[in-house]
Amino acid sequence: MKIQFLELKDDYAKVLFEETSPYFVNAIRRTLMADVPKLAIENVTIYDNTSALFDEIIAHRLGLIPLPTHLDLLNFRDECSCGGKGCPNCVVHYTLSKEGECTVYSGDLRPEDPMWAVVDKNIPIVRLLKNQRLILEAEAELGRGKEHAKWQVVNGIGYKYYPIIEIDMEKCNLCEDCVKICPRDVLEIKRKKLVVKDEMACNLCRSCVETCKKDAIKVRGDEKRIIMQYETDKSLSAKDALMEALKALHHKYDELEKALE
Amino acid sequence: MIIPVRCFTCGKVLGSIFEEYKKRVYIDGEDAKKVLDELGVRRYCCRRTIISHPVFIKGNEVKEPIDEAAQYE
Ligand SMILES: [Zn+2]
Ligand SMILES: [Zn+2]
Repeated sequence: MKIQFLELKDDYAKVLFEETSPYFVNAIRRTLMADVPKLAIENVTIYDNTSALFDEIIAHRLGLIPLPTHLDLLNFRDECSCGGKGCPNCVVHYTLSKEGECTVYSGDLRPEDPMWAVVDKNIPIVRLLKNQRLILEAEAELGRGKEHAKWQVVNGIGYKYYPIIEIDMEKCNLCEDCVKICPRDVLEIKRKKLVVKDEMACNLCRSCVETCKKDAIKVRGDEKRIIMQYETDKSLSAKDALMEALKALHHKYDELEKALE
Repeated sequence: MIIPVRCFTCGKVLGSIFEEYKKRVYIDGEDAKKVLDELGVRRYCCRRTIISHPVFIKGNEVKEPIDEAAQYE
């Protein structure tokens, strides 16, 4: 099995798996969504809220804010040596205190240590008018995507087979119908020949096959080569998220092996 | 209401993106498609969340429904 990053940014990755199978890549996809641990606000104590939004809505909005996740420094709260009471090894505290007239942003959440400062500081939480106040304390803890979407690190994850486009130039009459109909702009006519411009952009919709009156194009997917892409919410980088997913998958098989013995 | 923190469908963080979108599209008058592409909003679930969020434009200020509601406590 081979792996290659076609595109890798801090919060986006496009990965090509070779010599693999859909079942295997799907296991990675599901683990990435449901089993990668991440930090998110879980408990909020509101001392004063005279804004236009209810306490619950504000708490919900706070929960959705992506927080930086240093997995080597944190335990799950229910697995922690403190027995779930909450200690510096399993809970991160934030405070927020603001008075109008202003907009409260995610960057106004003050962590106990600057290393836990919110990554995306420009998410609006609530708008305050003159004399309106918001004072609260929040506790963040680790969780997994299968418990709540706020603990889901990746979004927009999906994969497709590697497209194989075969053109039979003996049948092709250069009518250009396929070039016009392709939604991804994959085909083009170059020096009186129909050629594939960018095969990886093809999404296997087969509109070109359907529109061709001469039956000159064949499109199929290669099940052994799979292109997967996903974004993260910046709580973990795209590469770290993939590493953590593989760790989680590994851990599951280890547990199964132990149970069998 | 105020802009959702994340896309309802896929979970991408949109709150911070909308702050910039508001400025560039409603005040500077840039093309919405171009701005969304540049801000990395790829999927149409996120795009509909942003373009369908209601705003009131008052001179140089872009207000959201929450700004109106806030005044009536
Ligand atoms: Zn603890
Ligand atoms: Zn979306």
